[in-house]
Amino acid sequence: MAELTSEQRRRVNAAVMRSFSAYEEQVPINKTELRAAVDALDTFLNNNQAAINTAIPQPARGALSTGQKAVIFTAVQIARYMIDNPTAINELVHLLGQVREEME
Amino acid sequence: MASGDTLLVFPAQANEPPSASYATFDTRNGHPVLDFDAAANEVAIFTGVMPQHYAGGGVDVILHVAFSSATTGDSDWDVEWELIGVGDQDLDSDGFAAANSTDNTTVPGTSGHVQQITVSFTDGADMDSVLVGDLFRLRVTRDAASDTATGDAELLAVELREA
Repeated sequence: MAELTSEQRRRVNAAVMRSFSAYEEQVPINKTELRAAVDALDTFLNNNQAAINTAIPQPARGALSTGQKAVIFTAVQIARYMIDNPTAINELVHLLGQVREEME
Repeated sequence: MASGDTLLVFPAQANEPPSASYATFDTRNGHPVLDFDAAANEVAIFTGVMPQHYAGGGVDVILHVAFSSATTGDSDWDVEWELIGVGDQDLDSDGFAAANSTDNTTVPGTSGHVQQITVSFTDGADMDSVLVGDLFRLRVTRDAASDTATGDAELLAVELREA
């Protein structure tokens, strides 16, 4: 999958800002700095998608769809960084709705 | 009345949202607020009658604003007047005068603290020639396309003061 377009990144950035706002969590960076984080993570994932895929053992790597592997990838991140942080979980739930609305 | 005296106060509940690009009504710990998005310009509109004690000079529009999440960056705001008066404005169309702006106001360092942002107008055409007793509208826009604060701006009240 190619990198997100600039417009897609803008929409992701907007969705993230709305999710942070929804739970009134303090964000000590400005829009430009937040957008830089979105851009950098998209670029990193684009550059490392083959390595991430290779890290998945067979038969899962070959048998699962890209969408299914993305779900696993996201689930592991939730477990690692968000499961003990109720605010982050709530923001994530809000974010899913916002991203769907922005990207459709 | 004298300079600095309050003429009118519009709380968040007084908003008359347009059909699109409107600030969204919300509450913060029970405080009614209007949320202005960070990624798109949104507006709120208030209707008032200029009080009989208005001296006829310039007017400062004071925006009482907090931020949902931002603790750094700045915000930009535009305010426009529309005289409705008596026979001055057909209600079937809008007739707002040119906007005055206050830009690059640094947000409070604590989310939840309220700041006051002043947008100043001189009497006459600058405020669409609104006089004592005139019905008018005030349109408030967060210029999100050019400001830098992340997340929603929360408008709690709009105050009109004699300049």
